[in-house]
Amino acid sequence: MRKAFPVEDLARDARFVRVPITDRFNDPRTARVDDGSSKTKRGPGRLTPDRPDAPDAARALMHGIFVGEIQALEGAGRTCWDFEVGAGNGEGVQEVPFELKLDMARQCWDEARHCEISIKLSDHMGTELGEFSENTFLYEAACNPDPVLRLTGVNRALEGLAIDVFNTMREFGDIAGDPVLEFCEDWMLADEVTHVKMGSDWLRRLTANDKPRQERALEFQRVVDKLFSLGGFRGEEDDSPVRLARRFRELAGFEEAEMDTLAEIAREARVEMEARVEANRAAVGTSAH
Amino acid sequence: MEESARRVGNYKWVEMRLFEVLGGWVATVPELDVKLRLGTHCYHHAWHAELWHKRLPELREMNPERLTAPANDELVSFIDAMTEPEGPDLTIEKLVGAYRVLIPAKIAAYTYHLNNTSTITDAPTIRSLKFALADELDDWRDGEMMLQSLIETEDELQRAIDHQAKLQRLLLAAGGIAGPGSIGDSYATHEENHA
Repeated sequence: MRKAFPVEDLARDARFVRVPITDRFNDPRTARVDDGSSKTKRGPGRLTPDRPDAPDAARALMHGIFVGEIQALEGAGRTCWDFEVGAGNGEGVQEVPFELKLDMARQCWDEARHCEISIKLSDHMGTELGEFSENTFLYEAACNPDPVLRLTGVNRALEGLAIDVFNTMREFGDIAGDPVLEFCEDWMLADEVTHVKMGSDWLRRLTANDKPRQERALEFQRVVDKLFSLGGFRGEEDDSPVRLARRFRELAGFEEAEMDTLAEIAREARVEMEARVEANRAAVGTSAH
Repeated sequence: MEESARRVGNYKWVEMRLFEVLGGWVATVPELDVKLRLGTHCYHHAWHAELWHKRLPELREMNPERLTAPANDELVSFIDAMTEPEGPDLTIEKLVGAYRVLIPAKIAAYTYHLNNTSTITDAPTIRSLKFALADELDDWRDGEMMLQSLIETEDELQRAIDHQAKLQRLLLAAGGIAGPGSIGDSYATHEENHA
């Protein structure tokens, strides 16, 4: 078996349908645009049970979590296989500490359980597997040949997003009076904090004497964070569908300044998306005349 | 003690190869249930590797890496062949290698060790062997159930048989996961052993 497994070869059964992430980003339906009245904001907005589309929005989010869990499992598994154990730190010589691989194996088990939980929760919410599309960006981040960048991109950026998503879903379950959803999300949230902490710890440990590499890893994390802010999907605005979970991120090794930066990245992503939607609308209006 | 340390080093090497390949295979298998089981079992074997890694210094091997080694070159050839399948249409071959060849061999070697070491002086090894064996037996059963659910035609059955025979020959040449004597020599007489 090869040491690097490309995203296009990722194995799925016939139920799954892939949609490129660029198509999703460019879909204006994912943006929220304020036309002057807070009651007529278009787009998803904050996930609350009183939204008319709340059941479908929650089902779509749950399915997104499910495919994310599969890819997180695959990515952690590949990190077990792709690198040799050795005294190196993964740069140049593709060697990583034995303990890093043990952490990745542990993460495999956690993600496998999360997949099982997600399958049962999806069924509980009335969703069939494959009902919503899958994009493979999480696994793409897990293909980075530098293990430090791989762990930073996956464990800090994407698993960090998972903290925000699980916390949002946990609160949604609480408000909606769904103890099953709240219970499951709470347990998965605990695992995600552990995974993000693994990323934080290994980033610091492997780059303790290599600040340029640490900065490259953090830059990679910022790129991934911005992509997954999804035009303001995750942020600290009142109507952000997924809220930044500062308390849990702090437990996972995030510093206050990092979370401020993340909130700023989310705001930038939102402004860019809104500008893009306005431009598209103007172009459509012009061509209509 | 030296023999116990050597075997424990061999065990750690084998457990590492197994958890690494199970993790690597997760992305390559399309069957969702298999994918999840491989992820779970990946951790079981990583934990066994960690148990053996921690046991080595207690057996007077202060540099665990020195004894973390394959029993012989033939075992390396076996592992290379076992870890070779990658394609999405080769799930049967992947599972046969792990669950019909390697894991049964580990169960045999661990059981032999368990039954033939000192219950007093080597009690820590026995405790780890019992933990590992509990996982191995559960995983063996899971793997066999997955295989039986995948093997539905004569052709698939033949693929499983052929691949098992190929790997079994390689493992025979290696003498087991800890080399010759992995499960002792049941036909050696007491006199021969002490000759």
